[in-house]
Amino acid sequence: MRRRLGLLVSAVVTVTIPGVLAVLAILGHDHAVSATDAVSATSVADESAVGPLPVAPAGTSLPVSNSVAGAQRTSGSPVTVFSEVAASRQAFAMHLLGRAATAGQATSYQGVEVTSQSGVDGTVTVVSQVWHQGGGLTLVRTSSAATPVVSYDTGDRSPAGVFGVTSAQVSLLGKHYVAVYGGTGTSSGRPATIIEVYRFDGSLAARFWLDTRTLVPLRREDFDAADRLVSDELFTQVRFGPLTARPAAAVTEGPALASSPESAWVAASSPATLVASMAKKGARLPGTLLAGLPLYAASSSGTGAGQVTDLEYSDGLSVISLFVQQGTLAASMPGWQSLSLDGSRVYVSGHSVTWAGRGEVYTMIADAPPQTVVEAVSAVPGGGQPGLVDRLGRGLDRLAHLVDPFA
Amino acid sequence: MSHLGTLISALIDGELAGAELDRANAHLAGCDACRTEAAQLRRLKRELSALGELDAADDAVTRRLLAMTHQNAPVTARPLSRRPGRRARRRRGRYVMWSAMSIVVVGVGAAAFGMGGSSSGSNEPQITPQLEVFDLQHAITSGDVPFAGPSSTRLQPPPTPSTPPKASKASKRTSLKASLRASAEATRP
Repeated sequence: MRRRLGLLVSAVVTVTIPGVLAVLAILGHDHAVSATDAVSATSVADESAVGPLPVAPAGTSLPVSNSVAGAQRTSGSPVTVFSEVAASRQAFAMHLLGRAATAGQATSYQGVEVTSQSGVDGTVTVVSQVWHQGGGLTLVRTSSAATPVVSYDTGDRSPAGVFGVTSAQVSLLGKHYVAVYGGTGTSSGRPATIIEVYRFDGSLAARFWLDTRTLVPLRREDFDAADRLVSDELFTQVRFGPLTARPAAAVTEGPALASSPESAWVAASSPATLVASMAKKGARLPGTLLAGLPLYAASSSGTGAGQVTDLEYSDGLSVISLFVQQGTLAASMPGWQSLSLDGSRVYVSGHSVTWAGRGEVYTMIADAPPQTVVEAVSAVPGGGQPGLVDRLGRGLDRLAHLVDPFA
Repeated sequence: MSHLGTLISALIDGELAGAELDRANAHLAGCDACRTEAAQLRRLKRELSALGELDAADDAVTRRLLAMTHQNAPVTARPLSRRPGRRARRRRGRYVMWSAMSIVVVGVGAAAFGMGGSSSGSNEPQITPQLEVFDLQHAITSGDVPFAGPSSTRLQPPPTPSTPPKASKASKRTSLKASLRASAEATRP
């Protein structure tokens, strides 16, 4: 009888321990996917919150912070209320920003831009010569790099705005910030209209200088939540009107970044649907909200290294592009600096961060405060060190791939 | 005294054939004692089959069997069958099945743990991010100029502010502006 009991106990132990491990692995695998789906649902709901910001009725007197905006809590939910004056200034500012986005496209200009941005690896400064033909292509020649770079692609696509002021970004900005007219000033020796952008808690988030005559942005400053300057972009020289100095260097050098036809990006009609369908196929994606930034665009491209998915997150000021592709990072990463970011081993280059996790390579290019970048890296599945469950899940994936390579 | 002697056990076990079987059956037809003994032995055999899974060394069972066989002595006690009963076979099958499943689960778990470790040596493609392509895509969607990537001018990270944000903001802005002006001067034709 004792022998039988011993046999039974050993059988139970032998089966239970690996069984529990296997179940944990499967649950862990599924959890990542289901969590993504859950985030997607939340964010899709958030995306539907399109419309004007809540405005208090005329005559309402409110204890507004810095005379612009105030945040109150009603029944536990934050409600932002604007005074009558602030509301009119906000409407005017949004109108100007919208016109600035259009002007940046329609106006011909040429000049020198200096962009300085705080990243997770220090501050990066880039000096670029820019030529823009109104309604046409933008050529950018980055002269601070070791090799001059001319930027545009085979689809005749080029940056569709100045200092991030595009119609899409202005629309997002209007949902997540309060933009108000801030008076007049000068930038690049030209008279300018100042637009100040505030968070809902009343803190300053950004400041734009728009050329008074053309409304093309001349300068932009971004501040983090601790009121530190994290990004400064400005024209040190600018001239509006027909291009006089044709960018001969650009023409002779050719499109250094011109992509091969196979790298053409195909935009997704519904970014949230794309993310959800990819998550169902087992891709580990952050969902439709990343570090507080909503997903607003997505596209995919087939390159020599396989399929690449580009997820674009933005609140109108901070923009994060997350490129996801299957594989692992090369053993040698020339030009990249290895860095430990919130416990994760990543490689940093300029405002780009790349890392590998659970069979995927993530490359994040961010125009955002360093804290937001760190938060975003930590939020991406596979951003941390893989644990036992992750390891078992990845191993089971590989086993399944061995059994059925076409799965 | 048995009239058939040891033949009766062979008869019950179905081991007789031919002339021996005919002779035994003929004897049973005319001998009440042997018929009774044969009936008892058949019943005993059925009970033994039912108790087959029990260990022969179990004292209680042994005593019971001996008592049954001595009710109508002298019956030659035959050793218990070494073949396991149906229930025992079923139980043993269950053990084998569980053991096999355990081995499979442990094997798969160990293989998954091993394969889930290092990425090196796997069939995953080794990737160096196409930063130029990605940077341009980012610039186009964000509406800003692309960075040059790895060869951008890199400045030292700003020191951790030791003063209140308001005070540090001004100094940082001044230093950043100074660096921007310096960069602009350097590139001015």
